[in-house]
Amino acid sequence: MEEKVKEIIAEQLGLELEEIKLDSRFVEDLGADSLDLVDLVMKLEDEFEVSIDDEKASNLRTVKDALNFIEKLSRAV
Amino acid sequence: MHSENRVSRILNTDYPIIQGGMAWASDPILTAAVSNAGGLGMLASGSMNAEDLSLEIEKTRTLTERAFGVNVMMLSPHLHEIIDLLVQERVHLVTLGAGNSGKVIGKLKSAGIVVAPVIASVAMARRAESVGADMVIAEGMEAGGHIGRVTTMALVPQVADAIQIPVVAAGGIADGRGMAAAFCLGAEGVQMGTRFVCSVECQVHENYKERLVKASELDAIIAGVGSGHPIRCLRNSLTRKIDVMEKRGAEFEEIERIAVGGLRRAVKEGDMDNGSVMAGQICGLVKEIVPVDKIIRSMIEEFTHIFRDHSGGSLS
Repeated sequence: MEEKVKEIIAEQLGLELEEIKLDSRFVEDLGADSLDLVDLVMKLEDEFEVSIDDEKASNLRTVKDALNFIEKLSRAV
Repeated sequence: MHSENRVSRILNTDYPIIQGGMAWASDPILTAAVSNAGGLGMLASGSMNAEDLSLEIEKTRTLTERAFGVNVMMLSPHLHEIIDLLVQERVHLVTLGAGNSGKVIGKLKSAGIVVAPVIASVAMARRAESVGADMVIAEGMEAGGHIGRVTTMALVPQVADAIQIPVVAAGGIADGRGMAAAFCLGAEGVQMGTRFVCSVECQVHENYKERLVKASELDAIIAGVGSGHPIRCLRNSLTRKIDVMEKRGAEFEEIERIAVGGLRRAVKEGDMDNGSVMAGQICGLVKEIVPVDKIIRSMIEEFTHIFRDHSGGSLS
């Protein structure tokens, strides 16, 4: 799942896969803005068939945050 | 147009024309004038508290019996009390700027309020639809104030294809031609800010209106890109200062402080040098300060003329 999440992030933000580390911060390290983040959340929702509400989405600051969150949601299904 | 246009029907207006809610620049007189002229006027909560907004709503109701709305900035420090007030007052339309929240939308909807998030991407539009928005305002980066990255021309058709709820186009529209263009792209309504600032009824400082009337399309630049929260405004010594601050890597909060105070300085005090003179790129088209009902009437005439007389268009 980690690889898939990283792949989606790389594709969405136009980055190389190697540039995406678990502790990369979306805004500060990966150069994402608020529009990118909404787009990314939608892609993750579609890919993993989960639903991330806006409040939760705004708490996702790093790649690891996103991964943990999706893992938790997928297990709950 | 009325019975067939979903935006007019939902808004209960004669025309699908919304006046953009602009912090400091929207006020009861302008709002009521737009609603009375057949469009939908909008107050703007900006960073106001609920008590001040409540007075504005009350005053607007003494000036018009027609529907009007309120723009809410989601980053407002008073967000929750503002939402509670709007639920209590049951204003007709609430537009949400700078971020969405399903929770806020649900609360407003259950009070019977029409909710229209301002969106700047297809993903934001899809999210808004999925949490129950009635329509979206697709705002291109030609607009004044806080802006996104995509132009109205490119954003509107992509959003219109992605969602079922109506799309209102914003950014770069100031006359019937702009409105017709937006409809060709799939919009069912338009929202305008800059055009309504240059109306007789708008209460901004005269210096502000005069500066907008003199401005060309090249004057409405983007400031604060580095902060991640870009703003379109007319270039002046404030924007040059922001530019210098960004080059030395100043934090967003530091820049936001001079920019936010700057809007009040421009609108209320008429400080065109150190104020933040927010305006869209269409400002070059706005050549005179006229009454609101004239703005709307001539738009509708021009719009109707375009669709009636030029529906085919000539290709050779």
